[in-house]
Amino acid sequence: MDPGLFEQTVLPHLNAAYNLSRWMTRNSDDAEDVAQEAYLKAFRSFQTCQATTAEETRAWLLAIVRNTCLTWLRKRGAASMTEFDEETHTDRELTPDGESALLNQAALDHLNGCVEGLPPEFREAIVLREIEELPYKEVAGIAGVPIGTIMSRLARARRRLQDCMTAKRATA
Amino acid sequence: MSCEISRRLMESGESASAVKAHTASCLSCAIGENARYYEAPAGLEQKIRASVAAERRQPTRRNWWAAAAVALLAVSGALTLDLVRQSGNATETAVLSAHLRSLEGTHLLDVPSSDQHTVKPWFNGKLDFSPAVPSFPDFPLLGGRLEYLEGRPAAALIYGRGQHIINLFIWHASGTSLEKTWTSNGYHFIRWTKDRMNYWAVSDVNTPELERFAALYRAN
Repeated sequence: MDPGLFEQTVLPHLNAAYNLSRWMTRNSDDAEDVAQEAYLKAFRSFQTCQATTAEETRAWLLAIVRNTCLTWLRKRGAASMTEFDEETHTDRELTPDGESALLNQAALDHLNGCVEGLPPEFREAIVLREIEELPYKEVAGIAGVPIGTIMSRLARARRRLQDCMTAKRATA
Repeated sequence: MSCEISRRLMESGESASAVKAHTASCLSCAIGENARYYEAPAGLEQKIRASVAAERRQPTRRNWWAAAAVALLAVSGALTLDLVRQSGNATETAVLSAHLRSLEGTHLLDVPSSDQHTVKPWFNGKLDFSPAVPSFPDFPLLGGRLEYLEGRPAAALIYGRGQHIINLFIWHASGTSLEKTWTSNGYHFIRWTKDRMNYWAVSDVNTPELERFAALYRAN
């Protein structure tokens, strides 16, 4: 194996790795630690990485980052991935189309805070799809769930964001 | 209107009002355009390069020895047995220290769960194989952990037997080794290979109990 291959192929995805870990840990010190730990894990299992394209390598890396983040969250006793139940996170009443409501700047000011307030499973979906702008299929692969699950998590996450922003604007 | 279409229209300068109307209402676009993107801080890349370089220095030496051992295996039958025995001892040491580390209380479980449907998917993305994760009435599953053995990622499954802990390590085998039960340093070991995977169970429970556990796991 080319000795510098890991650095050449995996380090270019550092921003994506850090962005995910920063959103998941919600602070910059832990985000750096988690990203670094994930890279070390990635290096150790690099031999088993079967990615042949930059996109596949990114997905492979982000899956490791994601798992490292969730382990970190679990250790801190935060919302546990293992206890996440799709059903209990179903919204009471689904509006026909969450996207139809108007978003003004006052509401958008609360966007970052609202994203941080999402449960980890929703947050990672939003970060990977809307902020990192990865294809649905790749997001599903990273989260290790079927694409339909990601679609429904995203739909519910967007609706929650909208509710959160509307509520914060109202109380502001 | 999808965001993609909206963006393209925006770039082409067409139907600006339609685009504006869409952007104002499209939450997906709004998140993408307004949420913060955290770029890696300066210095993080250097830290990672340094830790990778440090990591590389150690296993490389081990890989070199492994390569040398393989080369010798091909040449000499007499030496072969010795080397195999030695590498078996190295693995035994690694397995035992992983077992002992896990008992120190700092790092027994990465995924604490008695539910096999939680533990099994947890290994996704961490391993390039999917271990069987059964639980037994006499040997309840306590959880899973990631280990590295012989330079490969390994699944560690943790089972309980009364107050005792059994660690079962599973990783890719480079060859087939015979099933074996033995005791070393007061700990009992059973190893076997199946479908090109190594299985090593280690515990302080007595050998018949450990054998019973191995039989249950293999029958599963």
